[in-house]
Parts: sequence; structure tokens; C-alpha cells
Amino acid sequence: MLERQIPVVNRLGLHARASAKLVQLLAGFKAQATLVGAGREVNAKSIMGVLLLAAGQGSSVTLRTDGPDEAEAMAAAEALFARRFDEES
Amino acid sequence: MRRALAGVGASKGLALGRARVRHPHVLTLSEETIAPDAVAAELERLEAAMQAARDELSGLRDKLQGALAQEIGEFLELHVLILDDPELRAGLRDLVQTGRYSADYALKLQRDRLAAVFMAMDNDYFRTRLDDLDHVIGRVHAALHRRPDDGQLGLAGEILVADDIAPAELAELSRQQLLAVVTRAGSPLSHSAIIARGLHLPMIVGCSDALSHVNDGDALVVDGREGLLVVEPDADDLARYRVTRAKIEKKRAQLERLKRAPTRTQDGFDIGLHANAERREEIAEALALGADGVGLFRTEFLFMGRTQVPDEDEQFHAYRDAVLGMAGRPVTLRTLDLGADKADNSGLALRNEPNPALGLRGVRLSLSRPMLLDAQLRAMLRASAFGPVRVLVPMVTAREEIEAVKVRLHALAARLREDRVPIGERITFGVMVEVPAAALTLIDYADLVDFAAVGTNDLVQYLLAADRTHEALDGLYSERHPAVLRLLHQLFAQARDAGLPIHVCGELAASAPDVPLLLALGLRDFSVHPGALLEVREAIRAADLGKLKRRAASLLQCRERGDVERWLQRVRAA
Repeated sequence: MLERQIPVVNRLGLHARASAKLVQLLAGFKAQATLVGAGREVNAKSIMGVLLLAAGQGSSVTLRTDGPDEAEAMAAAEALFARRFDEES
Repeated sequence: MRRALAGVGASKGLALGRARVRHPHVLTLSEETIAPDAVAAELERLEAAMQAARDELSGLRDKLQGALAQEIGEFLELHVLILDDPELRAGLRDLVQTGRYSADYALKLQRDRLAAVFMAMDNDYFRTRLDDLDHVIGRVHAALHRRPDDGQLGLAGEILVADDIAPAELAELSRQQLLAVVTRAGSPLSHSAIIARGLHLPMIVGCSDALSHVNDGDALVVDGREGLLVVEPDADDLARYRVTRAKIEKKRAQLERLKRAPTRTQDGFDIGLHANAERREEIAEALALGADGVGLFRTEFLFMGRTQVPDEDEQFHAYRDAVLGMAGRPVTLRTLDLGADKADNSGLALRNEPNPALGLRGVRLSLSRPMLLDAQLRAMLRASAFGPVRVLVPMVTAREEIEAVKVRLHALAARLREDRVPIGERITFGVMVEVPAAALTLIDYADLVDFAAVGTNDLVQYLLAADRTHEALDGLYSERHPAVLRLLHQLFAQARDAGLPIHVCGELAASAPDVPLLLALGLRDFSVHPGALLEVREAIRAADLGKLKRRAASLLQCRERGDVERWLQRVRAA
């Protein structure tokens, strides 16, 4: 199992579109994914879960991946956060 | 029995048809359990309903075209993701399997669980995602109860009466030959209402008694201009309907003749008449109706409902096409004006701002994202090689902001020329007057700009501190407030003194009854959406500028909206 703390650096935080991207991205991996933030732990493959986390900009979340391709899933997710969900120029 | 119900007109037009009533999917069910041996069948029923809902959503997405597809597609995608949500699905299955609840009750329980968490959020944006959840749950619930022949009937000859309606659905229903829409909730400024107007589909919103007083199959007359719904019309109503219908037809024929007529007042003054247009069809329509140019091209439409910001080339092509489409008439390209009311499906603007109308929007957003602004300005400059382009900057408040953008624009132009990229010889640069501060001080920055455009919607909202989409403030937001008229008068006078061209591109300019008002206040150039262009031209042609000027003093003395309305009546009567 891998666990990383990831800062939410995009301007809007985990809003609907960013959440959708994360969920769609993680759906492509076999590994289980869990997102922890603000005292709540949710399935990172669940759009409702990620939306319920409502992480605003400036906060950080912890992502856990667990499964055969956990390293790839983690790397892909970290890259997505770092790219600010491709939403800014 | 005949009944007349009042609502708010959201999209003009007259329709006579039969009612198709759709009650909201309220999941107010009592606890409903099933026998152990029925679990497998119930799970299957639930699964089939979810699949049906999913098919509907993908079907809707496939049918959408053009700009609408971009705007709406993203919501649909979110709804598909919610339907596919592993947690949601597992929760539902568990409720049926272990809890032995009916599929319906499981839906309600699951919805209420999630709703409780959403409701507890202290962030409006995320709290409103509950609407998305409700939309999806409603769709599955409807699928659980669908009779096999539903939806196959088509909607020709029908008028939909519903609690509310989503923009995506409206587009789809219109294609199915629906005649009109009446909703209990909603506002004439909602996204759905805007789309209804674009589709020329009559619509009444805020008709609070509609659901309780209309039955499926009732005959209905919808007057989308007046916001009036008549249930089971009598002979008089039908006669009136025929007369009004004939008038509308006649009016349409009259307007048709106005296409080639000059926009000239009774006493021979030529008035500018531009179009607000961005989509290809609108540009074509603007040209066909004899617009003097495009007074407002909102570049936001390129950004809406996108996962990625359009790059310079994509923007350039869109702007160039508009310039080419107007065949040598000027096209006013406005830099990104994302803000409070449009942020929802853009991904660019701030959503978490406590007070978005007073926050990072318009030029403020652009200046905070110089890369984005530069790409826009370069694309506009490149488009200017193909015909006259006017660059317009929204939401300016201070001279410094105008200077900052102007310096960038000229530096980019110099750079492009250096690189031998073709651009127009002259760069026309202007600002939107939407902030009262900018209206009061036009004379102080007039030296920096070549023209100004007045966005009355925002100007009025900021001047009166009244949100124009706020339902409870309906009476307060008014362009006929004396303060608005005096500010506009002062603004037009400053422009005249500075020799600065100025036009109004807000909704007020497109309101034909208000044309005498704006002319009296000193406006000489209008920019309106193509649908209103001929009506406004007709109103200008009916006006006598000299007489209106003489009545300006009495207009400025109005102390309340009622006075302004009486002034308009006197002008009409004269």
C-alpha cells in the first residue's frame, strides 16, 4: 500500500470537474484508492465520495492506493494534481 | 373549467396545445420491504432502471450539437459518473439485498444519506451538487416506473407543465416538437430560459399554481410574452388567441420588410445598430438583418463547458471566422468575461469566492492570468488582418487596469509585426462600462480608449445592489430606476464631450419599448441580439429624436419607476 500527502494547488480545489477527472483517471487502475481529508475518508473512485470531501484550494489530501498497480495509480494521480487538473493556462 | 394562471414570461411566443404534466419525482415513500425470494428480481429491476437512465443520458449527449453540446455535455458527464459511482451502486444493492428494501425505498434512503452530508457542507458550490444527485436519482426513479409506451408518443402538439426543467432536456424536447413549457419554479434569467429563447420555444416560469391546477390532457393557451397560462380556454380565449396569433404573423411580415431599411429616426438621424453575436448562425443572421457590425462577441462561449482552455490558434480561427462572416463590418471581440454567473461550467473562474460578483472577474481575472490574456489578445490581433476588429475589455474599474491591458496589447502587436505575422493596421481598443465607478469617471480615461460599451445588466446590478437573478428581488432590479437613467445620461454626456463612440450592449438596448428612453438620454448606438434587431430598428424608425431631446429634462426629473413608465406612455401617445 502506498500513501502520499498531496497539496491541492489548483485555484478551485476539488470542484466537480476536477473530481470527475480524478475519478475517471483512477477507474483505469485495478488498485483500490482512498482519499483522506478534513477528517473524512472516502473511496477515491467514487464521484460522490470525492465531492463529499469538498477540498478547497490550499488544503491538502492524503491519497492511498492499494493493489497490483498502486505505484502507477499514485503517480498518475499525483501528476493530475500537479497539473492543476489541466484547468489553467 | 376555465382558469387563468399567472407566471413570468421567460420566452415570448404563443402556443395552443394539450398539457403533458410531469410531477416532480418526490421520493416520499413509506418504508417498503420485499420478500427474501424477491431480492434477485428487485436487484434486476434496479439494475435495468439504472441502465435505462444511463442510456437516456448518453442518448441526450449524442443528440446535442454545437455550442449547446459544450455547455451541457459536462453536466451530463457528471451525471453519468454519479450513476456509475461504485459506492452509490454498492449502497443501493446492499439496501435491497441486506435491508430487503424495495428499489424505490433504497433510492430514497441512499439519496437521503448523501443529502444529509451535502447539506452539512459550508460551501455553497458543493452544496449545490446535491441538485446533480437529485437529478440522477430522479431519472432512475422515473425509469423504475416507466410504462413501456412512455416516451414513444412524441410531444407534437403538447405543452409541458413541470416543476422545473434542465437546459439539456429543453433542447431535446424542442426537437420532439414540443410547443411550449410552463414551470412552477425557475426564473426568466435561468440558463433554461435563455436556451428557450434561443430555440424560439414559448416558456412561462414561476407559475406557482401550474402543477396543482393543470391535468394531463387539458387544453392550454400559453402566452410567453405576458407570462399567462389559460387552462381549458373558452370561446373568447380562443378568439383572442387567433387574433394575437394573426397579429404576431403580421408583425413578423412587417419586420421582414425592415431588413433592408435604414436605422433612421423620423426626423432623419442615423442611429447605429449592431448585433451581439458569436455563434456562426448568429453572425450570419446579423449580417442578413443589416447590422452595422458586431457590437459584442462574447469570447466566453469558447471557454464554456471545456476541460481545456482553447489555445491561441483555436481562438484565432473562431475570431477570424466571425470577422470574415461580417464581410468588412467591424467585429467587437470582448476578452474573457467570466464571473459569478457563468463560473459554474467553465472551470476557469473562481467558485469558492464568498462574493463572486465583487471578486475576481472580467479584466481582473484576465490580468491575474497574463498568459491567458496574451493568448486572447494575440488571437484577436491576428484576426484583425482579415477585417476590422475592436478589442473590448470587460469590468474595468480603474485607469490602471485599462493602461495595463493597453500596454500589453500594443506590445503584442509590435511583436507580431516584428515577426511578420499579418495584423490590421489600426488597433481599436475599448472598455466595457459596467462598474458604476467606470461610468462616473469615463472622462478621466477617455484618452486611453477608442470606444466604450455599456453593459447595462451589470451596471444596474451594481448600482442598485440587486442581483438580477434573485427571485425575491424581482421588483427591485429595474433598468427604469431613476438612478440608472441619470447615470446613463451623465455617461453619454461624458462620451459626447470626449468625442468617444459609445454603445449599449446590455439587455436594455434590446428592449424595443425602452428605445425612446435611451435616445432621450443621449444614446446613438445600440447593440442587440439578432432576435431583437428588427424590433429595435422599428422602434428607432418610429422615434423623433428632436422631440425626445426636448423631453429629456422631464425624464431626468422622474422620482420613481412609475414616473418613468408614465413618461414612456406619454411619448408613445404623442
